[in-house]
Amino acid sequence: MKFFNLLKKELGELITPQTIISLVAITAMLMLMGNLMKSTIKEAVENEYSITLSDRDDTEFTHKLAKALEASGAKLKTVDTSGDDYSAILKDADAESLVIIPEGFTEKLENGERPEIISVAGMKSAAAMSNVMNSNSGAIGLISDCISATFAEKAGLTAEQVELLQLPVDVTEQTVVKDKNAPVSTSSVMSSLMMKNMILPIIVFILIMFTSNMLMSAISNEKIDKTLETLLSAPVSRTAILGAKMLAAAIIALLNAVVYMFGFSSFMTGATDSVTEEMGTQLVTQYISVDEALERLGLTLGVTDYILIGAQLFLTIMICLSVSLMLGALVSDSKQSQTMMMPMMIMAMVPYLISMMADINTLPTAIKLIVYAIPFTHTFSAVNNLMFGNYTIFVGGLIYQFIVFAICMFFALRLFNSDKILTASLNFGQKSKFKKRADNE
Amino acid sequence: MEKVLEVKELSKQYTKVLAADKVSFDIEKGEIFALIGPNGAGKTTTIRMISTLLKPTSGDAVVAGNSIVRDAAKVRECITYLPDEAGAYKNMTGKSYLRFMAGLFSTDIDTINRYVERAERICGLGDRLKDKIGTYSRGMIRKLLLARAVMTEPKLAILDEPTSGLDVLNAIEIRKMIKQLAAEEGMSFLLSSHNMLEIEFVSDRVGIISKGHLLVTGRADELKQRYSAQNLEEVFERVVNGNEIL
Repeated sequence: MKFFNLLKKELGELITPQTIISLVAITAMLMLMGNLMKSTIKEAVENEYSITLSDRDDTEFTHKLAKALEASGAKLKTVDTSGDDYSAILKDADAESLVIIPEGFTEKLENGERPEIISVAGMKSAAAMSNVMNSNSGAIGLISDCISATFAEKAGLTAEQVELLQLPVDVTEQTVVKDKNAPVSTSSVMSSLMMKNMILPIIVFILIMFTSNMLMSAISNEKIDKTLETLLSAPVSRTAILGAKMLAAAIIALLNAVVYMFGFSSFMTGATDSVTEEMGTQLVTQYISVDEALERLGLTLGVTDYILIGAQLFLTIMICLSVSLMLGALVSDSKQSQTMMMPMMIMAMVPYLISMMADINTLPTAIKLIVYAIPFTHTFSAVNNLMFGNYTIFVGGLIYQFIVFAICMFFALRLFNSDKILTASLNFGQKSKFKKRADNE
Repeated sequence: MEKVLEVKELSKQYTKVLAADKVSFDIEKGEIFALIGPNGAGKTTTIRMISTLLKPTSGDAVVAGNSIVRDAAKVRECITYLPDEAGAYKNMTGKSYLRFMAGLFSTDIDTINRYVERAERICGLGDRLKDKIGTYSRGMIRKLLLARAVMTEPKLAILDEPTSGLDVLNAIEIRKMIKQLAAEEGMSFLLSSHNMLEIEFVSDRVGIISKGHLLVTGRADELKQRYSAQNLEEVFERVVNGNEIL
C-alpha cells in the first residue's frame, strides 16, 4: 500500500503534460517522416522514367534514338540547347538532369568511332535520398542499348545474339550461412536484414538514454529540491523508495519503447515499403523471395530467440537503472545532473555505432575485449549473434550483463542505505569543503 | 516525567571532521527543546542522526523506547522531520502532497483523511491547497511543510529552523502553534534555530552546541542567570566564546 503510494507519486512526477506532448509529437514526426520518405522515393523513381534530351546532332539516327527512348516507356522532354554553360542550360531547360547528344554524334558512329554523350545532372543537397537515382543513367543505358543494336544489325547479328553479347553469362548466386545455403545474392540478404534490424538498436539506444535520464533526475531532483530528507525520514524503507523509483522509470521507459516502436515501424514501413514496391525486382531473385531465403538460411528469429532478446533487454534496463541510481545519488546540483548523463551516453553510443558499422567479432582481440566490456554492447549485437548462431557469445554476454547488474545493484543499494546518499557529491577539479577547512586551519 | 528522547553520547565522524562529539541530552513528553549553535556546530548532523538519516559513529539515541541504531524503522514511525530549506514536489497540489505524505505514515484511509484534514486546518492555506506547489511562495511552502510535520501527531517533531522564510506575523503564528501542540497534545519538539528571540519565546530548554560539543543545557531563564546575561543571545555569545578561550 505504501509502496503503491510511492509508485503513484513517482509516476505522477514522470508523466506530465510536457512528456506526453513530446512523446506524441515525436511519434507524429516519425510517421510524417515515413510518409515523406515514401513520396521522396516515389519521386526519385518517377524521375528515372522522365528524360530530358537535347538533340544537337539532329539526324535521322538521333531521332530514332529519341523514339526508342519514348518507346521504352520514359517520359521524354526535348529541349534545344547551345554552348557549355551547363548551369544555365539546366536552368533554361527547367530540368533536374539532362542528356545532350552533341553535334557529330551520328558521324562518329558511322565512322566506327565511339561517340560521346554529355550527361548533365543538378545536385541540390548531399542527402542520400535526394540524389539516389539519376534519371540520366537510365537514358544512357537505353541509348547504349540502341547503339549496340544498330552495330549488331550492321554486323548481321540476331536479337538473341545481341542479348547473349550483352549478358554473356547467367549468374546463379548462392549464399551460405554456416551449414545452410539458399539461391539468393548476399547483397539482397544484407539489404533485407539491414532494413529489418535497424529498428531494435534505435529503440535500445533511446531506451537506455531515456531510462537513465529519468531515474537520474528522479533521484537528483529529490536532492536538489530538498525533498529527499523528508522522504527518507518517513516510515518507509529506503529499498521501497528505491524500488518505486526504479519501477516507475521502467514503466515509463517501456511505454516510451512501445510508442517509439510504433512510430519507428511506421517510419520504416513508409521507407522500406516504397523501396520494395518501386524496386521490388531487386530484392527478389528469380528463384525465391528474400523472406523465403532468410528462412532457408536460418536468419529468422524464433520464439525462443525473441524471449532471449527480451531477457537481454530487461537486463540492459536493469543495468541502466542501477548505474543511474548511483550517478543520481552523486549529483548535488542541476548542472552536475547534465554531466552525469555523459558516461551513460558514451556507454550506449560506442557499441551502437560500432555494431552498425562493423562485426564486433572480427575486430582485433584487444579492441573486441574493450567493446565487449561495455555491457550494452551485448544488447546491440544480440540479434546478430542469435541469427548467425553465435550462442556462446550471446549466453556469455547475458551472464556478463547479469554479473554487471548484480555488482551495480549491490553498490547502488549500499550507497542508498548509507549516509552517502545525503553527503556524497562530486567536485570536479574543486577542493572538497572538508579539505578547504582543513587547509585553512 | 516520561522521556520521549534520550540522546546518549552520540558521535559522528566524517572522513576528516568530527561533526558531533558525545552529544547527550533528553526531551520529556510535551517539552520543547532547542539546539542552538553557530554554523557548522553540528546541529544538523545531530538532528539527522536522531531522524535516522545518518548512522552514528558511536553512541545511541532512544526515541519513545526505540533505538535509532537498532530500530530505525520504528523510530521513523514516531517522529517527523522538517529539514531546513526543505522543498515539496512542485508538480503536486498542496492537498495531494499532504495525502501522499499521510499515506507514508498510515495505510488506513480514515486515518489518512484525518491527518489531511488536520494539516489543512493547521496550515491555513485554504483554497490554495488545490493549486500546484510550484505556484506557492516560500512562506506558503514552509507552512504546508510544518502542517505536514505535525499532522501525524508524532511523539517527537524535529524541526530544523522552523520559521525560516516566514514573515514576522507568520513566524509568531507558528511559534504559538508549536507551544499549543506541546501543551495541549503533549507533543515533544526538537528545534534548531539561529533566531535566539524565537528560541527564548518558544522553548522550554535549550542546548548550546559548538564544534560538535554540546556545551550547556538548561532553561532559558536559568542560563541567563548563570551567565549574568540579559538575553539568550548574550548567553550564547558567552558560552561559545568561553569555550573557544578554553
